[in-house]
Amino acid sequence: MAAAPGYLLPLLQLGDSALPTGAFSHSLGMETHLNQGIIHDEDSFANWLTQFIRIQLVHSDGLAIRFAHEAETPAELHRVDRELHAAALPREIREAGVKMGARMLDIAGSVFPCAELEEYATAVASGECSGHPALAFAIAGKNLGVPLGELLATYLFSTVTSLTQNAIRGIPLGQNAGQRVLAAAHREVRDAVALVQELGREDFGITAPGLEIAQMQHERQRARMFMS
Amino acid sequence: MAELVETRSVGRLAARAKWAGTLSLDIDRRGGKSIAVRQFHDGALRILRPHYLDESGQVCYVIVNPGGAYLGGDKYLIEVAVADNADLLLTTQSATKVYRTPQDRAGQHMQVHLGRGARLELLPDPLIAYREASYEQVCCVDMDPTASLVMAEVVTPGWSPDGGLFRYDEIRMRNEISIGGRLTVLDNLLIRPGTGSPVDSSNFMSHYTHLGSLLAVDPRVDQALVDELHALLGPMNDGGQLGLTLLDGPGLALRALAHSTERLNEMLAAAVDLLRKRWHGQEPLNLRKY
Repeated sequence: MAAAPGYLLPLLQLGDSALPTGAFSHSLGMETHLNQGIIHDEDSFANWLTQFIRIQLVHSDGLAIRFAHEAETPAELHRVDRELHAAALPREIREAGVKMGARMLDIAGSVFPCAELEEYATAVASGECSGHPALAFAIAGKNLGVPLGELLATYLFSTVTSLTQNAIRGIPLGQNAGQRVLAAAHREVRDAVALVQELGREDFGITAPGLEIAQMQHERQRARMFMS
Repeated sequence: MAELVETRSVGRLAARAKWAGTLSLDIDRRGGKSIAVRQFHDGALRILRPHYLDESGQVCYVIVNPGGAYLGGDKYLIEVAVADNADLLLTTQSATKVYRTPQDRAGQHMQVHLGRGARLELLPDPLIAYREASYEQVCCVDMDPTASLVMAEVVTPGWSPDGGLFRYDEIRMRNEISIGGRLTVLDNLLIRPGTGSPVDSSNFMSHYTHLGSLLAVDPRVDQALVDELHALLGPMNDGGQLGLTLLDGPGLALRALAHSTERLNEMLAAAVDLLRKRWHGQEPLNLRKY
């Protein structure tokens, strides 16, 4: 009889886009392009999402998960946290990481407790670390024995799903259109998982000017649905 | 002379590469004036004699690349140390040009140390990248919490003989700023020219050709200053894009996209001049290039 691996259900639970981390209130720069009319339909959103995966999800969240997975000591993990936080120049992106990181850490620590999560939570509470959902997710997943590829794919696709749900409300898009965008994103996420495993430390936190400016401009947008 | 640089502890960078040019400059304060207490250069980097643009005691040094351009595989190393309460303005004599780099990208690595109350204004001329150019610039700053850093730069594509703009491959600009030994700002920017499609490339350069960037890390930065700069610079970048944000540190980051170097130079100069006046009572910067 084929049994599901022990980590599968915990992984599905933590990777559920409905996990109450507050991701539904963060567009991570998308709302600026929505406001400017650059994103206005299924195709333009799918294009934006592709760029977002290739830039931010690969170089920040994705690499953070890999480096956290590879970290052998708390000091190595803290260094990843430090770099990830320092690499988020737009204030709202730093704040989104801190807020959602605290939520993810709280949830993961209460349903899948382990010593490493406890250590990270203590470091965040003391100010030594800033906290980020990708890192809390990576620590929990590593402790549950989730292989890196599945850990990456789950986190990236979960973020892509949250952003798509936000686009469905924000543009707005139909539910079926949202599902088409998600299915089309499978290939991008698979490519991202491979790329994350090929990149080097110098690629950590790389961003691009247009995305960064949109994330900064969002601070000054008057009517907003999202906090970032 | 090259051995002098290699025996000096400058971290992982100096131990490895063969440098096309190195430059090392230590600034200290003597009797109200900042002066170089040690300077050294080797290969294709030179430095001009210092000058003083005003009565503030701030010393201005101009870096020169006599070769005129960075070629494939060329790596340059610049080390700057500004001692307690010393004040340095560092600029270049002309634009840094990066030509085609078929085998290996060109690069510049800079190590900066700022002591207590030290100040550095790092204001190079624009970086101009030509067809098939690939370039990496890394600047690591280790500063005291009471030190002040302002750095600004414009990146532009070169003009081709037929009057069009060259498409360079990519430029990586990485600034690592540690305050009191703690990494606080990791500015890791990948710049690729636009593809011409506003949708495909809206997260890179969109249809813009020129990028301006400014970082200021100084204990006096706050959200009110960020708002004031935005109000000043926003109207100057009509038709372009401007982003300004508050950094931990505290500090601020500015990014702007436009269609010309002049537009960005005006904006960056306005920002630099506001900070010079506000924090140091200095007049607007007028760099006479020697």
